[in-house]
Amino acid sequence: MLWVDKYRPKTLDKVTVHDQVAQNLRKLVSEQDCPHLLFYGASGSGKKTLILALIKQMFGAGAEKVKLENKTWKIDTGTRTLEIELAMLSSSHHVEMNPSDAGFQDRYVVQEVIKEMAKNRPIDAKGKRAFKVLVLNEVDKLSREAQHSLRRTMEKYSSSCRLILCCNSSSKVTEAVRSRCLNVRVNAPSEDQIVQVLEFIGKKENLHLPPGFAARIAAQSNRNLRRAILFFETCKVQQYPFTSNQVVPPLDWEQYVSEIATDILTEQSPKRLYAVRQKFYELLVNCIPPESILKKLLAELLRKLDADLKHEICHWAAHYEHKMRLGSKAIFHLEAFVAKFMSVYKEFLVATFG
Amino acid sequence: MDMDMEMPDPDELEWMESHGLLPEEEEDAYFDDEGFVPPPGDSDQPRDSPQPQEPAAPRANEASDGSLKRPPPPPPSEQEDEGERSKRRNVGRGDEEDEDWLRYSPPPAPEVVIVEKTISRYASEIHGDSVPVTAPNGDRVYAKLAFEGLVGQGISGARQWTHFSIPNRSHTGLLSESFHSLTRRAEQEALAKALQESTDSIDHEACSATPIVTEKLWVEKYAPNSFTELLSDEHTNREVLLWLKQWDSCVFGSHIRATGDEVLSALRRHSSTIQKNGSNRNFFSKSKGVPVVSLDDTPLNAPSSNPEGLGGSFSKMSSVDNTPEQKVLLLCGPPGLGKTTLAHVAARHCGYHVVEINASDDRSASSIETKILDVVQMNSIMSDSKPKCLVIDEIDGALGDGKGAVEVILKMINAEKSNNSDRSTNAEETQVRKASKKSHKIAKLLRPVICICNDLYAPALRQLRQVAKVHVFVQPTISRVVNRLKYICKTEGFKTSSIALSALAEYTECDIRSCLNTLQFLNKKKVALNVVSEQFSYPYDATINRYVVLFLMIHVTEQTAFDSQVIGQKDKSKSILDVWKQILQKKKLKRAAKSESHFNEDKDIDSLFTLISNRGDYDVTMDGIHENFLRLSYHDPMLQKTVKCLDILGVSDSLTQYVYRTQQMSLHAYQTPIAITISRMVAQVEKPKIEWPKALQRSRALLLEKKDMLKTWRNQMSPFVSRHLSVESFVEDIASPFLHILSPLSLRPVALNLLSQREKDELAQIVDTMVSYSVTYRNKKFVPQEKANISVVQHEVSSLSLYPPINDVVNFKGYQSEHIGLSLAMKQVLVHEVEKQKIIKDSAGKLLNQTNDRDIKSEALSAIRKKTVADSIGPKLHSSKDSSKHNSCTLEVQSNSASSVNDKDSRPAKKPSVRAVNFFERFRKEKPVDAKTRSDVGQQGATILRDSRPLIFKFNEGFTNAVKRPVRVRDLLLN
Repeated sequence: MLWVDKYRPKTLDKVTVHDQVAQNLRKLVSEQDCPHLLFYGASGSGKKTLILALIKQMFGAGAEKVKLENKTWKIDTGTRTLEIELAMLSSSHHVEMNPSDAGFQDRYVVQEVIKEMAKNRPIDAKGKRAFKVLVLNEVDKLSREAQHSLRRTMEKYSSSCRLILCCNSSSKVTEAVRSRCLNVRVNAPSEDQIVQVLEFIGKKENLHLPPGFAARIAAQSNRNLRRAILFFETCKVQQYPFTSNQVVPPLDWEQYVSEIATDILTEQSPKRLYAVRQKFYELLVNCIPPESILKKLLAELLRKLDADLKHEICHWAAHYEHKMRLGSKAIFHLEAFVAKFMSVYKEFLVATFG
Repeated sequence: MDMDMEMPDPDELEWMESHGLLPEEEEDAYFDDEGFVPPPGDSDQPRDSPQPQEPAAPRANEASDGSLKRPPPPPPSEQEDEGERSKRRNVGRGDEEDEDWLRYSPPPAPEVVIVEKTISRYASEIHGDSVPVTAPNGDRVYAKLAFEGLVGQGISGARQWTHFSIPNRSHTGLLSESFHSLTRRAEQEALAKALQESTDSIDHEACSATPIVTEKLWVEKYAPNSFTELLSDEHTNREVLLWLKQWDSCVFGSHIRATGDEVLSALRRHSSTIQKNGSNRNFFSKSKGVPVVSLDDTPLNAPSSNPEGLGGSFSKMSSVDNTPEQKVLLLCGPPGLGKTTLAHVAARHCGYHVVEINASDDRSASSIETKILDVVQMNSIMSDSKPKCLVIDEIDGALGDGKGAVEVILKMINAEKSNNSDRSTNAEETQVRKASKKSHKIAKLLRPVICICNDLYAPALRQLRQVAKVHVFVQPTISRVVNRLKYICKTEGFKTSSIALSALAEYTECDIRSCLNTLQFLNKKKVALNVVSEQFSYPYDATINRYVVLFLMIHVTEQTAFDSQVIGQKDKSKSILDVWKQILQKKKLKRAAKSESHFNEDKDIDSLFTLISNRGDYDVTMDGIHENFLRLSYHDPMLQKTVKCLDILGVSDSLTQYVYRTQQMSLHAYQTPIAITISRMVAQVEKPKIEWPKALQRSRALLLEKKDMLKTWRNQMSPFVSRHLSVESFVEDIASPFLHILSPLSLRPVALNLLSQREKDELAQIVDTMVSYSVTYRNKKFVPQEKANISVVQHEVSSLSLYPPINDVVNFKGYQSEHIGLSLAMKQVLVHEVEKQKIIKDSAGKLLNQTNDRDIKSEALSAIRKKTVADSIGPKLHSSKDSSKHNSCTLEVQSNSASSVNDKDSRPAKKPSVRAVNFFERFRKEKPVDAKTRSDVGQQGATILRDSRPLIFKFNEGFTNAVKRPVRVRDLLLN
């Protein structure tokens, strides 16, 4: 068991990073009812942890006994019968699922599967909780149609079912869905908070932390708590008695992106662009989201860039990211950004150095 | 023509043979005997065996003369009549005048007999009495009887006949030998001459035949009948002919080979004129005809009569058997160039009877096999039958069915190859062959097979392509096509200009069929073909011409008004590679054309536009542009063009996405200008090296594959871990640290009991992580790329690598990750421990909460399987096995404590287990020597001590020595 999992707070009381949010959630649940919830925030900030702690708060230990099911749903669309296989975790009180796994058929998942589950009242309704909870992950990846279908489900079955939605960015969830939920923003933890967590873990593991070491890890983690803890464990595994100048091993893909950045800065030509394209393919093939690539690439480029150009490059990065989201072939847009950068950068070089 | 010409011969022969007793027929009989060169096997046959021939003769007689109701032995008084009839029959062939005087006229005056009135297909067209005459090929004509009508001609014919028949009769008695030799010589000369003239006159005949049938399509009407008329490429024609001639020795027998070789060499040299070749060939095929008949006829009609001769002839055939190396000819090319015509003409030219199987026929494997066998092995009962040549048209047409045909042919070719190896004596060979013909399904390919296709690279033809002789048709030159078109127009009386015709030919890309159809259509509408277009104000440029829309000014005769009509361009989409080529390659501007470059550009754009929108596959088109444009050499110092190109590609991408989402397909129309814009910017003059956009497609496929792998893996993990993990977050955040964590540097590959407490903790920690993430090391087959398993540094054959292959996720091309793999020994230890841990966990899981039964079962199953793998991994492991056994208890306890963190229910188990450890440690210190037996005892002791969890130890015991749990035989067999 990794430390990430080992030291994950199980109850709302033990949550350290978002203690304010946790307090509010507990108050919310202690009342009789609870609205639909929408958790959003950057990855590695603790949304899922909060959700699970909340569910435990609601239903007690019974919610911890979950089982994994790979269920095949047969959906009759009128003209033909679809078969959708969906993995879901379920306890007697709640169900967790990831409807966007169904790809372009997610609409049917929402319309049929979720509706089906939302309809069924929990049998042991004699207690105070007369509803079951559906946890839907990655709602922002749902297609527009699916989200629209979700809207109706939320209203119609609100008496027997609560939805907890979880996503990275609320901007991709339609207004209609957002307005039906209580939106809970889960901030990325600040570096101080991360340091606190790391020190807590260090104490539990009986590790001696040299001063500033946790801060360095926190700085490198990009305010991602999961990453920070993993870095911490990696450092521990690699060299235990920590030294203050110990190197935190970088993420491989980030390393690769910075190599690309160096490539771009050394030469600007269609030929180099072609080489860069191959590298982009390598990254994309390995499931690295193109948005992350663009973001990281921009960060790497900005580090080595003249201040005059920074603003313009940021503008173009935003421009191409926007276009990337509109289209489907990420490589076109990534490349377009690199080409644009090359063009701007070269012009700048010629202007300054002649 | 060839076919028709030869047809009457055997027929006549038979007829004459039937009247063999008549003295004046001797000459004919002799002609039969000597005029043709028979194969040695049956040269004696007509002479020696009139008996076997007799049954055939009356049959033929009845068939042809049945309506006359004459007694079989005709009285001499009717000789005249008979002669005339035979003559009329000859005349009746229509194109047989030559034959006619071939037989009856050594004298020089070749009189063309008027055919039209005496003979017709319809009895109603003939005044007076008529006689139905049936040719062996089934053609039936009615011949007018000479007594009643047409006195003049009949008399002249009769006169002619009597004139020659009388000397004949007188000569027979007196000088037999010299006369025979004389006539033979004369006849041979006449035959050669006649044949030559017949080939010459084909043209004339074809034309003269035209007015009769007006309904025919021009395409059929003017289809080439002889080899010389073929429009297709001269070289191809000759090659095809050469190939067909190579079959001669196999099909027709050995004796022709000598002459055949001459022809072959002549063909090869390409020196002799076609005319001469043609006549030569005709002569041969003519002379071949009869022997083959008799040769093939005998086994059918009189199988027992002449076994020796039969065997001889067969053996001759098989021993000679030097068929061409490639048994199958594959003709391919775009439609309308005359592939089928060539196949037919060439085959007929070489004396074959063409049997065609085309797409409209049933082409399933079984039906086609019988068909091919029919063609290859059988001969028609008709005595005149020629060997058959199979033409399979449109073989690429239907994928599923076409394949059947291809398979059968391949099978036959292969059977031949294997047969060739074991060849026994002649006699046996015949036996075998005869037997095989009846019983075995696989037969040899003894007749030429010509396959015709449009797309040489159709998947169905892949195998055939390797064994067949392939000929690709090229477009005939425009001038050739235009000449033919002109000729046809002239004969049809259709007014046109050669410029218009050449434009038409150009337009249809020399598709003669479509040219002719267009012309006929216009002719029917009584419209003149004119070209109205700007193109003639420019120097004639072939490339532009194609894109100029061809306007035909149609002059309608009824009205004086002019109307214009656009003839639809041939709707032919180019291959996607061509499209890319067109987009990325600029056309070279000629100096002269530079002045009008603006206009040319317009045309280029137009042509590109049609090209791309005809293709339609915008997604792939754009991918291809994206793939290739960066490698072009265009001048772009500041990369502005590149930026623009990529921007515009991005627009196309968004457009595609939008179209798919909103289903407004009409918006696709705007994709074409995007491609053209790119073309205007980056197109280069030299020929670009176009590559298929593999990278993009490959990346898509790989991405899906990896995602799938990760998803499956996630489903295998324990839910407490996997619920917090998405595929993206794993790859982004976890993968790299995870790999580091899994391979700690501090872990030494030594026996487990030598490890310090801290190291043991670490080991336990790793094992626990691996179990909860359901990761293990697996024996991997040797992978050629070293980078595929970086974590495996060892170069041993049995290398262990992570499963699922997480390390692949951080392997980027040209990037060296810092992950250091564990040593093989360490991995083996880990595998072992992980398996053990899994089993323990499973049992605990069964006890604790009945979570996902199915998963556990499969896990347990795989655990058992892997356990044996682990056991067999290496001797090293075996040596360390003992030690691991000692440790197993400890480890399990540690893991228990570890898992108790999240499993509150297992907390009560913790205390006794700690005690057990203590107990065990104590125990081991006491008796380290005979550890094995002791450990068992110790475990039992621990079992007793740990009353709350007795089952764990039971299980452990099972793991070390004997498995005391129900195991199905099936599971064992899985190993």
